[in-house]
Amino acid sequence: MIIHLERCIGCQACTVACKFQNSVPDGQFRTKTPANGLKGTYPDVSLYFIKEACQMCKNAPCVSVCPTNASYYNEDGVVLVDVDKCVGCMYCLTACPYDARFINKETGAADKCTFCYESKVSKGEKPACVSTCVGGALMFGDLNDPLSKVAQYLAKHKAEVLKPEFGTHPTVQYIFEGVVK
Amino acid sequence: MDVIWGVSDNHVAWGQLIAIYLFLAGVAGGAFLTASLTELFSKKQQPKVIQSGAYIAVVSIIVGLGLLVLDLGRPLSFWKLLLNVNMGSVMSIGVFIVSGFTALSVVYAYLIWSAAAAQKKIQMTSANTVVAAPSFGQKVQAFRKPVAALGVLFSLATATYTGFLLSDVTTNNFWNTGLFGIDAIPFLPILFLVSASSAGLAATLIGAFRGTDLTTYKKIDMVLIIMEIVLIAILYLSVKPIFFSGSMGTLFWLGVVSVGLIVPLLLSIYGILKHKNVLLPVCGMVVLGGLSLRYFVVYTGQLFR
Repeated sequence: MIIHLERCIGCQACTVACKFQNSVPDGQFRTKTPANGLKGTYPDVSLYFIKEACQMCKNAPCVSVCPTNASYYNEDGVVLVDVDKCVGCMYCLTACPYDARFINKETGAADKCTFCYESKVSKGEKPACVSTCVGGALMFGDLNDPLSKVAQYLAKHKAEVLKPEFGTHPTVQYIFEGVVK
Repeated sequence: MDVIWGVSDNHVAWGQLIAIYLFLAGVAGGAFLTASLTELFSKKQQPKVIQSGAYIAVVSIIVGLGLLVLDLGRPLSFWKLLLNVNMGSVMSIGVFIVSGFTALSVVYAYLIWSAAAAQKKIQMTSANTVVAAPSFGQKVQAFRKPVAALGVLFSLATATYTGFLLSDVTTNNFWNTGLFGIDAIPFLPILFLVSASSAGLAATLIGAFRGTDLTTYKKIDMVLIIMEIVLIAILYLSVKPIFFSGSMGTLFWLGVVSVGLIVPLLLSIYGILKHKNVLLPVCGMVVLGGLSLRYFVVYTGQLFR
């Protein structure tokens, strides 16, 4: 997934679409897009919105610490949670540096963004947040395929990942072009 | 919670139940260690110390495990931890260490209890010169030393694992701290092992203080306190000052350092110089200090990431 921050208007359509698509319990979120980086003095002020969710790490600490293998990579490298295997020990919550996980109030199991893998992506559709995005700030596709739209977009824009110092190798790419960090 | 302005609710995934569990597992390990090492190596007969340590170990670990299960998002599915194994996860390995330790401490406490019960019976019956047939409890007394010896390994493993559980979270700057900044030598397992031995020994002495000469144990506890002071000083110098700020700073300086280490050490020295019995306050404070340390480490590691 690519997130082009300059195009995000903070409308929270992604936040809402995700809750509808995945029946996320009241008060809990798999993704949300808070304001960040409020700077300056009127009239020279700046601020941007940054979408937060699972970063789908290639070296995911949540997967390695999970005592029951409930957190796992599926065949496409997407990090998922097997609700049936999860006991809710919250070790993954302590390990995730992105605070992407929470304990689902209804199931008691760890929960997080799945890229809408089962309901959308496996059927060839885009995740709910991507298809609903008003400003076109979200792009989804296979970064390993050099011919894909996302790979070509990334070739033209400078992207970065969040908290690279932890060596988690996230696959979600952020483009900060045009925003004041 | 505000979605757009991201009002923080200062949420921690692991709260006080985990802190108390880590403390109780440490006390259990230290108490078992005190009892079993006494049984195996003490030249003096110390039945009170062995009994106190064995009983404190079994009660602490069972209560601790109860809290651990209660803290789960799905408490009734705890048994899945035994069926699904991830050898790369410290918690998964820990499940088997703690299960083994719990089983051993139950067996050991039973052996100690049945020996004590038989002792009482003999005292009562000897007046009438009736020799009772050896009961099941007496027949299995031969297992005491092997159980104690195996238990030494499992109590060391239990106390150390509580540190590895946290230090293995590589994305946590505080928990993941290495000794002298060397990442290959995690700090918390060493600190927790020393603290567990100290708190477990102190708890055992509280249970055994009447009518027993505990001089050797008091000396060992002083050595452990001094070792812990050195370790805490190293920790303080090797992590960022923010981890010791705010309410966590109060907990650290008051609970961990003052109540847990400095005051009991000074009081012990005073007790030795003036020949006063200060065992109860010293041991009580050491135990409280152990609890404060677990609270401090669990919370400060999550609050300032």
